[in-house]
Amino acid sequence: MIPLPKFRYVEPTTLAEAAAILAAEGEDCQILGGGTDLVPSMRQGIFAPKTVLSLQAIDGLGRLEWSESDGLSIGAGVTLRRLETDATLRKLFPMLAQAVSEVASPSIRHMATLGGNLCLDTRCYYYNQSEDWKACSDLCLKVGGEFCKASPGGKAKKCFAVFSADVVPALIALKAQVTLVAKEGERTLDLAAFYSGDGARPNALKPGEILTGVVVPADRVGIKGSYLKYRIRQTIDYPIAGVALALRFGASGVVSEARLVLGGVASKPVLVKGIAELLEGQTLDRARIERAAQLARKAAIPQANTAGQRAHRKQMIHEFTTRAFEDLAREAR
Amino acid sequence: MTETLSVPAKMPVRLRVNGQNRDLLIEPSASLLQVLREDLALTGTKEVCLLGSCGACTVLIDGKPALSCLVLAMACRGKAITTIEGLMEGGDLHPLQQAFIDKGAVQCGYCTPGMVMVGKALLDEKPNPTAEEARQAIAGNLCRCTGYQQIVEAIVAAPEIARTGSAKRPAGLMDSGPYLMPETGE
Repeated sequence: MIPLPKFRYVEPTTLAEAAAILAAEGEDCQILGGGTDLVPSMRQGIFAPKTVLSLQAIDGLGRLEWSESDGLSIGAGVTLRRLETDATLRKLFPMLAQAVSEVASPSIRHMATLGGNLCLDTRCYYYNQSEDWKACSDLCLKVGGEFCKASPGGKAKKCFAVFSADVVPALIALKAQVTLVAKEGERTLDLAAFYSGDGARPNALKPGEILTGVVVPADRVGIKGSYLKYRIRQTIDYPIAGVALALRFGASGVVSEARLVLGGVASKPVLVKGIAELLEGQTLDRARIERAAQLARKAAIPQANTAGQRAHRKQMIHEFTTRAFEDLAREAR
Repeated sequence: MTETLSVPAKMPVRLRVNGQNRDLLIEPSASLLQVLREDLALTGTKEVCLLGSCGACTVLIDGKPALSCLVLAMACRGKAITTIEGLMEGGDLHPLQQAFIDKGAVQCGYCTPGMVMVGKALLDEKPNPTAEEARQAIAGNLCRCTGYQQIVEAIVAAPEIARTGSAKRPAGLMDSGPYLMPETGE
């Protein structure tokens, strides 16, 4: 059996204890949630931490609470399976439950946590490989090489690894906020601002910080949403294009809020610009939906680093955006 | 590598596997799969992709399917682990195991333990699953031989076998005694 690199395993029972360990160990420490992203990467030698810090024994991270004043609070340790099956969540935010149910496979959803999905590492044909495979050629930028090998021409000095979490586009479409805790204190930011767009360091976590959970604001109830995922097989696979659409309809079908987020087509989830300006105060018709789909297609910047040709994935973003709008327009009638 | 890596010492752990407490000395970095196969000689759980893509190493942790290649054994302290070896009751096959035989759901056998474990988890949750529910339950488990249809049929047929009590003792298999590790003879 290919062994995991040797490390020390710690399982603190409080967040304060976890933050103190993380502050002391810095970048030599990896945080373990369900393990479904970290463990394969350690197996491939991508990470060789001195310490693995499991969050599973920390009580508060398993919270899943709804209140009409504070919204839906989801702890980082809540499993995707629990999110997918929670009656309150399914009723209030069906798009979120839909996006969760599209992740990987049933067994993985039993193990994987929300925090892990939010902190999912970016992926690439040149990165998610064994050490032996990578040793056969120049290293890519993300593992210490000079250039991003997936970039057009293979000469970019920026990493283009793809961000592939399914839950994140849905949460951003719902204006979720994320909380990060360190020894020094905590900060909360818009989930959309948590992602950097740099494939090499995909999120805003600073050394010593732990993502503890998200909140979906209470005023998001009543939003109609749709998450559509394109992948090679209908199970297990990461998205090669994903569309999360959130709309609120006012009287006589007029759109009062619109937000469209793409996944699997850039190094971060892409909040499509111009959608609110195009649609708010308008009714949905064929021409406006087509214009929105064009905006989405333009915002998608897939690279040759996962399955599916780039042009095809852009076309599928166009197609899935159209379908998502048509689904919600039907629901609104 | 010139730097000397400090190798963490082995740690004593107690794991509850198939209803028995097992006291072990393991590497903190050992996966559950590794401990099951190499320390406990429970080789029914299969090692295939080691990346969470195939489902062959599925076991139940506190009754829920989990990929044992992705779980650290250290993280399983205090949890109930069930492997394919733990399904027989009183020497009789589990009805689902009998169903796999009756329906011809086994060919090369490599995916079988994982398929049976996800099927068992489904039956525990829904005692009379539909074919569609069975398909959803095995959606993370790859089989390259059967085309899946017989596996779905076996899961759907298992409740009937449980009712009629037609599960049999495995012929011959268990007469050969427990598996011994070649290196240690344990």
